[in-house]
Order: sequence, then structure tokens, then C-alpha cells
Amino acid sequence: MTTTSDQHNTLPGLGARRLRQIGVILALLILMVGAITQLAPLLYMVSTSLKDQKGIFELPIRWIPNPIKWENYQQVWTKIELWRGFVNSLFIAITTTVGEVLVSAAAGYAFARMKFPGRNFFFGLLLTTLMIPGVVTMIPSFILFRTLKWIDTYYPLIVPLLFGTAFATFLCRQYFVSLPVELEDAAKVDGANPLQTFWYIFLPLAGPVLATLGGLGFIARWNDYLGPLIYISSQKKYTVPLMLAQLNGLYERRWDLLMAGSVIAIIPIVIILLVMQKYFVESVATTGLKG
Amino acid sequence: MTTITAGTAARAKPSRLKQIDSLWGYLFIAAPLLGFLIFAAGPLIASIILSFFKWDLLTDPKWVGLDNWTKIVGFQLQPEAYAAALAQDKPWLNALSVYFKPNDPIVWKAMGNTAFLLLGIPISLGLAVFLASLMNQPMPGKQAFRVIYYLPTVLPLAALALLWLWVLNPDYGLFNNTLRSFGVPAELTRLNWWQNRALVKPAFIIMGIWRGVGYQALVYLAALQGVPRQLYEAAEIDGANAWHKFRSVTWPLLSPTTFFLLITALIGGFQIFVEPAIMTNGGPANESITMVMLIWKKAFRDFAMGYASAQAWLLGVIIMSITIINFLLARRWVFTETD
Repeated sequence: MTTTSDQHNTLPGLGARRLRQIGVILALLILMVGAITQLAPLLYMVSTSLKDQKGIFELPIRWIPNPIKWENYQQVWTKIELWRGFVNSLFIAITTTVGEVLVSAAAGYAFARMKFPGRNFFFGLLLTTLMIPGVVTMIPSFILFRTLKWIDTYYPLIVPLLFGTAFATFLCRQYFVSLPVELEDAAKVDGANPLQTFWYIFLPLAGPVLATLGGLGFIARWNDYLGPLIYISSQKKYTVPLMLAQLNGLYERRWDLLMAGSVIAIIPIVIILLVMQKYFVESVATTGLKG
Repeated sequence: MTTITAGTAARAKPSRLKQIDSLWGYLFIAAPLLGFLIFAAGPLIASIILSFFKWDLLTDPKWVGLDNWTKIVGFQLQPEAYAAALAQDKPWLNALSVYFKPNDPIVWKAMGNTAFLLLGIPISLGLAVFLASLMNQPMPGKQAFRVIYYLPTVLPLAALALLWLWVLNPDYGLFNNTLRSFGVPAELTRLNWWQNRALVKPAFIIMGIWRGVGYQALVYLAALQGVPRQLYEAAEIDGANAWHKFRSVTWPLLSPTTFFLLITALIGGFQIFVEPAIMTNGGPANESITMVMLIWKKAFRDFAMGYASAQAWLLGVIIMSITIINFLLARRWVFTETD
């Protein structure tokens, strides 16, 4: 290490540049090994999902199945009725995400741009939620929803999020704080009330943060296992993760079907990630940090 | 922040207009605050109260005082049994397990398992810094790397659980077959990770790193891109080598990121549930039962609501204490630009 950097300091520009090139190539190689490690299990998932029952247990592993058995997907989707879980999960994820983002954005806006007594106190209070581990509130919440006769309905999974979340409120506040002061002045001249100011002026400007929160919220709800596990008991109301866990017990050794189900479960998330990578992969990295 | 509000409040006389503005403000924040009361503060208090009761949801709750708590954290010391074990020429470590007799051994087991799984965090963070440093330079395909590394973090854990059962399948799984193709000795390539008492926790750690390292690397990468180039140039003029630069420039400037990732990983790690619940059901021989799994079983399988609440509170207190301790320690090692 020491010698290379000494050379680096003493060699003329050309040598330093070559060293740098070697460095980049080495980095690329290591990153590629890493990327293969990250991707291989997922490709293995897709590959297995297209194999017939003999093909699963064929060694060495054949990455491109022969024959390609698309029927696995048909079987999981229609016979095992994963479509039902898919629709249920989609319904829960969309309603909660829209609600959470809108309500949190409004609150974040108020904490950032409106003046009222106790503002900072209430903001601090709300942030303490982030410190409370979910496991502590799990049992009393269950008892509350049971008292309301909400067991085996989607209400316990949806309603709490319609109150907004501390995390989303926090992120929205951070964003709205950073916008220029002149925006309110313009609104005031136009005689807009706070709701109009928020809805017509600030909300449209918050596109990136809303998209990020929307993406994160959808993913969190789509992936949730513990919530539905606690509250949902009827087969027909199962979400995708619940159905996958159930399949795991019912179809032992049918890795073709289990993997087809898993592929179906990850497709929405992959689509979101690809569509939103610009917002996402970059802004997700900074979300936690700006605080 | 506080000073600004105080300032404006002192300057402006309370007027009707101001009051209306305040009302609007309260209206905007009403929902999250109500949510806070109903779904966070309320249950938080309710669960500590519940922890002093015995309740199966069917009959009336019964006050049991500290019984739940003494059952969870209580233990007995048995010096006689210990001496007897030693007298029988048992190794002292085995004898020690007789000496210490917890009231509810499974709680200690779950706590130990959960703590063991946290060992993956430093490994993952180290690997993430390394990957981020490699990515932090102009190179082709950077965006592709980012997406690929990030992908496992956001995929549904239930699907990844099934996938990893299959990947680590002893005979036909990807992992063992890859080892075989690299010529690893046969006895190491037939291991049944998920059924093996010694390997099940390391298996969860490997899976956890695979799932989390990419996200952590991206967070580090974002932080690295904020490190001013001049600092490196200054260090180079002083004759610093790559390691020096990392030690005295990169790592200190990354410390807020490390802190953030460490805190979130710890909070998540203490509450790990989905993987053992779907993949091993806590087995084999309770080697992978975690605290949240235990709490879930107590509450929703045994309907011991009071006892489960006490366990949940214990775990909550541990998580919150560790978070607070981390914040206190952070003053020593986390670098802040403003100070």
C-alpha cells in the first residue's frame, strides 16, 4: 500500500493515470462478483419457477430450463388462487400508501411552514414514535381491534396508516422547510387559505419526496407479513406473503411452484424499483441522513 | 427552531387572524397526533399495565403483580447441584449450566439467539463501506450496480424466505452446488443449514447480509459523494496513503452514516421475525427462535396476553436503552460538521 502511493506521488502523470485505470478495473471486477452474488439467487428463483418436477432435482444446475414450463405460473395463479392474494395485497398497499402520504404531507407542511403554539413540542412528541419498537404496541393494538370487532378485516392493516406516520411526516417537513419563503407570499396575495396554499402550491412541488415515500410505503405494505398474520384468518382474505408462507407448508419439495409464487410476489416491487430508480435509489440513500 | 417561534410569538400581538392560522395548523397535524395517541402512546401504556395481569382474552384479566416479570427475568442459583455435578467429574462449563437455572429458559434462549443474529451487523457494515468505496469513482455501469445491490433489500421477505430455503437446500440448492463446482470437500457441501443446530443462526446471518448489504452500501455511497475532494488532496500533499486517507478522512466523515445504519440495523435486528417464522419455526431445538417469535407465540398461540406483554416490554426496553446508549456514545465518535 505505502509503496504504491509513494510511486503515485513520484511518478509522472501517465503512471498515476495507469494506476488509476488498474484500480477501476479491479474495483469493477470485485463489484461484478458482488453483483453476481446478489443476483444469482434471484435468477435461480426465476429459473426454478420454470422447471418441471424432474428438472428441479437435476444436477448440475441447469440455468435455462428444458423444457420451459410456463404452466407453473398458471397453476399458482389460478389453481392455488394466488391472484386473490395479489388483489388483496394490492388493495391494502394502495389505500394505505395514498392515505399515509397525503396525511403525512399535510402534517409535515404544517410543521414546516405554519405558525401555531406548541408546534415544536408536538413535532417532538410525534418523533418519539420512531423510538417505540413495533413489538411493544403489537398486543394492545390487537386487543383494541378485537374490541372493535375488526379481527379478520383489513381495517387493522389500513386504518392506522390513514393517520399518517411519524417517519413520512418527518421527511415531508424536512422537504417543505427547504422551499423558499416567497411561495407563501405569492399565495397570500392571491388570498388563498392554508389548505389551498398547501394543495395548489406546496404539494405539487413535493413530487420527489412524495414519490419516494409512496414507493417506500407501498413496498412496506406489500411485504408486510406480521400484520396480516395477526389479523387475517380467512383464506380468501390472505395477502401474498401469507399465501406464500402457507404454500411452503402445503407444497413441500414443489420448489417449482414455490418459486413461481415468489416470482409473482416480487414482480410489483421490481417494477416499482425500475420505474422509480431515479427518485429512489438516489433519494433513499439520503432519506435517513438528512435529519 | 425554538427560538424562532418564541421570537415571533413575542413580536406579534395575538389577533383573530393569528388564532385562525393556529386552528388551521392544528387541523393539519390532528391526524398524526391522534394516530400517535391511539396507536403508539396508548398501546405503549396499555402493554405495561397488561404485563401485571394474567389474561387469556376469554376470562376476565387477573392481577398477578410482578409474577410475569419474575418469571421472565428471574432465575435460581443452585450451588448444591453445581457442586454435585463437579463431584461427578463433569466439565465445569457443563456444571455451570446446572448452577444457573432460569425460571423460563426459553426467554433466555430467544434472547441469546436474537443477540447472536446481531453479529451480522458489523460484518455487513464493513462490507458495505468497502463496496461503497469501490463504487465511488467514475466507472461504467454504476447505475446498474446500484439497482442490483439495492434490489434484495426491498423484495418481500416471505418470498426471499422460500428462496433461501431452496438456495441452502443440502442436495440440490444453489449454495452447496456452487461450493461443489469450486472443488470444496464433499463433507462441507452436504450441510443442511436450516436443520443444523450449529449452522442455523449463521445461515440467517448470511441471508441477512445478502439482503441488507446493498442498501447499506448505497447509503454509504451517498455519504461518500458528499466528502469534499479537497480533503483528500490535502491528505495526499501530506503524503497520506490510501489507508491513511480512509482512516483520517473517509471514516470520520462517514461516522454519521455508520451511526444511522447501526441504529436502524439494531432496531430491526432485535425484532427479526419473518425469517425464522416461515423458514424454521424457531427450530431446530429452538436454536433459531427469536424474541419477537416467542412473543408472537405467547400472545397469539397460547393467548397469554399479560405474559407476552411483559416480554414485549422487556424487549422494547432493551431496544430503547441500546438506542439511547448509542446516542450518548455517539458524541464521542460521530463527527458533526457544525460543531
